[in-house]
Amino acid sequence: MRFLLSVILIAALAATGEWFLPWWTFAVAAFVVSIFTRMRAGIAFLSGFIAVGGLWLGIMLWRDAANQHILSARMAALLRAASYSEIIIITALLGGLIGGLAAMSGALVSGKSKWA
Amino acid sequence: MSEGSHQISWARVAIGLLTTLVTAAMLYFLDTPYKEVPALGRLLDPFNGFWANAEPVNGSFNQTLRFPSLKGSASLYFDERMVPHIYADNDHDIYFMEGYVHACFRLWQMDMETRAAAGRVSEVVGSKALNYDHNQRRKGMVYAAENSLKAMEAEPRTKTMLDAYTEGINTYIGQLTSRSLPLEYKLMGFKPEPWTNIKSALLMKYMADDLTGECWDIPLTYLKQSLPPAIFSLLYPEKEPGSSPVIPAGTHFDSASLSTPPVPNDSALVTFTSKDFGEAREDAKGSNNWALSGNKTQSGAAILCNDPHLGLNLPALWFEVQLHSPDMNVYGASLPGAPGVIIGFTDSISWGFTNNYRDVKDYYLIKRVAGTSDKYWMNGMQRTMTPRVERIAIKGKADFLDTVYYTVHGPVTYDERHPAAGGIRKPLAMCWMGHRGSNELLGIYLMNRAKSYAGFVDGIFHFECPAQNMVYADRQGNIALWGQGQFIDKWQGQGRFVMNGADTAALWAKKIPMRENPHVFNPAQGYVASANQSVTDSAYPYWYNGDFRELRAWRINDRLSQLQKATVKDMFDLQNDTYSILASQVLPYMLKHVPASLDSADARYISKLRKWNYQLSATSTSASLFQIWWYYLDGDIWEQLGKVPDALHPADERTMRLIATTDSEIAVIPQLKDFHRLVQQSFRKAMDSLHIASRRGREWYQVKNTSLTHLAKLAAFSYDTLKIGGWGNVVNAAKTDHGPSWRMVVQMGQEIEAYGIYPGGQSGNPGSKYYSTFIKDWAAGKYYRLLFIPFNSKPSASQTLFTWTAQPQRS
Repeated sequence: MRFLLSVILIAALAATGEWFLPWWTFAVAAFVVSIFTRMRAGIAFLSGFIAVGGLWLGIMLWRDAANQHILSARMAALLRAASYSEIIIITALLGGLIGGLAAMSGALVSGKSKWA
Repeated sequence: MSEGSHQISWARVAIGLLTTLVTAAMLYFLDTPYKEVPALGRLLDPFNGFWANAEPVNGSFNQTLRFPSLKGSASLYFDERMVPHIYADNDHDIYFMEGYVHACFRLWQMDMETRAAAGRVSEVVGSKALNYDHNQRRKGMVYAAENSLKAMEAEPRTKTMLDAYTEGINTYIGQLTSRSLPLEYKLMGFKPEPWTNIKSALLMKYMADDLTGECWDIPLTYLKQSLPPAIFSLLYPEKEPGSSPVIPAGTHFDSASLSTPPVPNDSALVTFTSKDFGEAREDAKGSNNWALSGNKTQSGAAILCNDPHLGLNLPALWFEVQLHSPDMNVYGASLPGAPGVIIGFTDSISWGFTNNYRDVKDYYLIKRVAGTSDKYWMNGMQRTMTPRVERIAIKGKADFLDTVYYTVHGPVTYDERHPAAGGIRKPLAMCWMGHRGSNELLGIYLMNRAKSYAGFVDGIFHFECPAQNMVYADRQGNIALWGQGQFIDKWQGQGRFVMNGADTAALWAKKIPMRENPHVFNPAQGYVASANQSVTDSAYPYWYNGDFRELRAWRINDRLSQLQKATVKDMFDLQNDTYSILASQVLPYMLKHVPASLDSADARYISKLRKWNYQLSATSTSASLFQIWWYYLDGDIWEQLGKVPDALHPADERTMRLIATTDSEIAVIPQLKDFHRLVQQSFRKAMDSLHIASRRGREWYQVKNTSLTHLAKLAAFSYDTLKIGGWGNVVNAAKTDHGPSWRMVVQMGQEIEAYGIYPGGQSGNPGSKYYSTFIKDWAAGKYYRLLFIPFNSKPSASQTLFTWTAQPQRS
């Protein structure tokens, strides 16, 4: 329950933050939420990973579908990626990784968290 | 999740702080650009990064806009090709909306082009553009724009036009957020600065420079001195004999109101000794335009055609638009960055441009007073140059400072600190018509509102530089052609070679009155045509020189003189014509000298070439072989002029005619004495390079590789190997990076029937489906029927894809 709440909170805060503030506020959102949800470090990482990675993946898939891959294909060529899917997957993993690390950091510095 | 411990574990907190630090470091790294690589986190972020530029393919583009500065309301109807038809109640509002729309679709392009004009590219790309920027400053580009801006702002109509246009652009820029910023800004890591009127002036000077930039004064000065006079005039005649001039031969010219100045003694010219020249001649920017009077067409209406050949880039140079206001209804190609329609038609008239190529840029050798940097001699008297400090900002580096000295002729463009191409280090000042303050925009303003020939002529008289051959056709069936621009009454030979800047006899004298510019109205032949050839026959009373080309003009005149009952389809065919006069004239001579023994592959090529129809069509392999062979042959022939002037080969049409003399006894050109061996040698080279080229394919379009290159040179946003035939010296002048930038055919009947296409798409956003919409059809030689809404009517719902309404008040 707390895990799900944490994922939803991080995703919602990250989305709002990114819309109005610099792109990296998603990490602040994951960090802050995890200070309060006090989950084990590993679980916190997972919640941040799923929240941010999922959010980013969702936004990308939505925008890419609406755009019919016009830009993602061009960006893939520009960034020398194999295809637009590669860009999407790597970006989602990157967002997830940083979201997870931020959430884990939040959980750890709250001092109440166990390792896993 | 046990709540077992309520004790704070400081070890975990410490580790937490460490991972926080690692996370922050990652974010910092992803938020920081490194050299050419943009900040990857910012770029990849699905919310604000490049994904925000991925326009939904089926998204609605309808908008209701509130602009407090509008005087009335304005409506924009986008047709199915995303061409806006802009309706407004007054001059201010129509140009405001045009500025807004240009910015909305092409802001980054406008920004980069004006930076390129002003020599401010280094500011955003770093020191790799410093040389380019430095050269722009030395040419006095900003000085030129400032002078024209004064003229434009002194005229109330063009002042309104510029102010409103600038306001429209800035309104759009003001709405941008870091998320909605055009993609290229995100990639290059800079932001748009506010638009100003000088930027529009700069853009117009950019075009002027592009179209009057070629200048052979320096190499010609050397060649004249190093070649025997008879050979020099054979290789580089002032005019190619037998030209089909822009103004048809035999046209009556009024006698000149100004007398031609006498040719001064030799002191007005200078001589160069052995210097190293590196300038390479190429058929650069050319264009075709022509008009047929009603008695040459099937419909009985006049037809006007134009295809200006300019640099092929993405976003494309042109943006299609219709402007409708109480005193104007005009459709055509606009230039993002400048208000109005540059090439197009109204309800009454149509017009088009080709480059005129009369020489309006000359160089003067400056004789500095010894021991000074800013004093020079003029007829034995000392004069002082005006210094102008140019500060070039360079991304990531300290500013570069240069003082440019202005003489009575113009800026000292080249000197020991900035040598001319080829290495001349002497101080050379540039005298350029483009430096003078002129108001071409008023010309555009008036042409966009012209209802008759008189209105058209009124407009073009404001067009001073770049000089253009301006073709005209109207609904009364009239046609006309003007070799229009501001020209100087020169003495014979003035400005063809570098002149002595210390001699007042070499100064530019009086301006030729505009009405005496060469022109023709409804000539007996029933058509007019220009394709950068000589402007007049020798009956024209003023002397001029220029960088004229004849091959396309010969072909067009040949076709048009034969055509009867012409249709728009015939015009499409002619604009896409790939017949090479050059090939038809020189190939028979080349084939006479091919080696007797060939291997079977080479023999196959040769036998195909013997049957070839001289068409440089897209899929022809014979065209590939001929073009490569000619490239080497021409190079091998003129290489013998010596290392120094290798740069400036005689024009193709000249070489073609000289080769025709090799069979006779009168082969006086030493370089052609060895023609037999040169043909064999160049054939070998051509076959070798064709075999190398075979990896990409040997068809002509694969070999010449016509490309639309993104302005930031990003291959991912560019298109190459377009399947299109042609070359610079045939009517369909699609070269590698230059070509027909806007093809237009307008039949001026009861109902105006207009067709057009340009290589690109209305949107400059690589994330838009309108980015590359027209490219394939353009390459294939197809046309779109242009939706021209007559005066006082509006597009129907079925003609409208999206609508914008703009209101002044807040509702």
